[in-house]
Amino acid sequence: MSRGSSAGFDRHITIFSPEGRLYQVEYAFKAINQGGLTSLAIRGQDCAVVITQKKVPDKLLDASTVTHLFKITENIGCVMSGMTADSKSQVQRARYEAANWKYKYGYEIPVDMLCKRMADISQVYTQNAEMRPLGCCMIVIGVDEECGPQVYKCDPAGYYCGFKATAAGVKQTEATSFLEKKVKKKLDWTFAQTIETAITCLSTVLSIDFKPTELEIGVITTEDPKFRILTESEIDVHLVSLSERE
Amino acid sequence: MAERGYSFSLTTFSPSGKLVQIEYALSAVAAGAPSVGIKASNGVVLATEKKQKSILYDETSVHKVEPITKHIGMVYSGMGPDYRVLLKKARKLAQQYFLVYQEPIPTAQLVQRISSVMQEYTQSGGVRPFGVSLLIAGWDDACPFLFQSDPSGAYFAWKATAMGKNYMSGKTFLEKRYNMDLEVDDAIHTAILTLKESFEGQMTEDNIEVGICTETGFRRLTTAEVKDYLAAIV
Repeated sequence: MSRGSSAGFDRHITIFSPEGRLYQVEYAFKAINQGGLTSLAIRGQDCAVVITQKKVPDKLLDASTVTHLFKITENIGCVMSGMTADSKSQVQRARYEAANWKYKYGYEIPVDMLCKRMADISQVYTQNAEMRPLGCCMIVIGVDEECGPQVYKCDPAGYYCGFKATAAGVKQTEATSFLEKKVKKKLDWTFAQTIETAITCLSTVLSIDFKPTELEIGVITTEDPKFRILTESEIDVHLVSLSERE
Repeated sequence: MAERGYSFSLTTFSPSGKLVQIEYALSAVAAGAPSVGIKASNGVVLATEKKQKSILYDETSVHKVEPITKHIGMVYSGMGPDYRVLLKKARKLAQQYFLVYQEPIPTAQLVQRISSVMQEYTQSGGVRPFGVSLLIAGWDDACPFLFQSDPSGAYFAWKATAMGKNYMSGKTFLEKRYNMDLEVDDAIHTAILTLKESFEGQMTEDNIEVGICTETGFRRLTTAEVKDYLAAIV
């Protein structure tokens, strides 16, 4: 195996580098940190939860329009991490793919199939030079008819996988270590426990004591499989119960 | 392939006559997780390492050993997303053949077609080669077949082979252990041993995948079955 020198373009478009790496894909991962936020998702016994920070950078902004949680279908929701414009584009595509599936096959798209489809689209961007990979990471949650609550993540490399819990964004590594420790001990969280673990994880990893206005939480449960974004008062209830425990 | 993008190929000849993008793609494959294929007298065995980076991953949600038709299966070493593209194309090609000829696609035909696809991506405009090598196992006409398909589009029929990390030592191990009279059970045993040579850490039924192709068709072994084979080794 000879080590040739690259023609210099391997850092600009998605062709292989001499070591067999795709630099553009690796840079896309770094671009996810541009958003400056961290988000995570946890799968409980009968629910799935996504949580992210809500940072409104300017007081003049209408806070109700700043969100990173999106509804893809009635029963599938997602949290986007990374570049805002790329995120919005990917959400639109996901909504289109889900609607297209319903039109073609007559039933709602399962969570894993949606994530797989989005990952396959992301893979095309890693193989065609004329399109760059998107600088965002999508964590999808939903309740599968056969498998129960699901958390799936797909990234700029076109890789996707199901998770028991996962994180994305700036403090991804720290959040993942925290979640690994929690998952080792216990895996069958109730609804309240899942949300509280998620809040605790973000709080610990970012060293922030959250107010209800600084968090966005989206949930899906097996009894009510509709994707629902918690209101400020509901978030407050969980924050209060967390502080009471301490 | 070059719809609105580049009209020229990105894989071009170097002064020494090499296609370096393909060589780099082979580096990507050699950095991937090890996989092994062994042809026995009554079937073919495919095995691969499936190490997840964290316990948070749900190992049952994605598989590396996948069926293409009832009688052909595939595994890879290299980039997972690229593999999914080829898997989808292979399944479609198999069905297209069936539509025309009303018989299951012979393994060699499928391999020849999927390798053509891989070759296209080394010559078409604005695309890079696939970063995977495929191991395709099939059974037709009472004969087992094992093929390897490379990023260049070249394909080879093997009696036994290894790909991915430490593939040279895997192949040396297989050269010593292979003989024509192996049965599927022995082949599974040998495949797992080959993987064990370069395995870091404890091998369990959750971090390897095994598939077998016999006259009854192709199937992936369940974790319970893999556990039994692992118990026989230790």
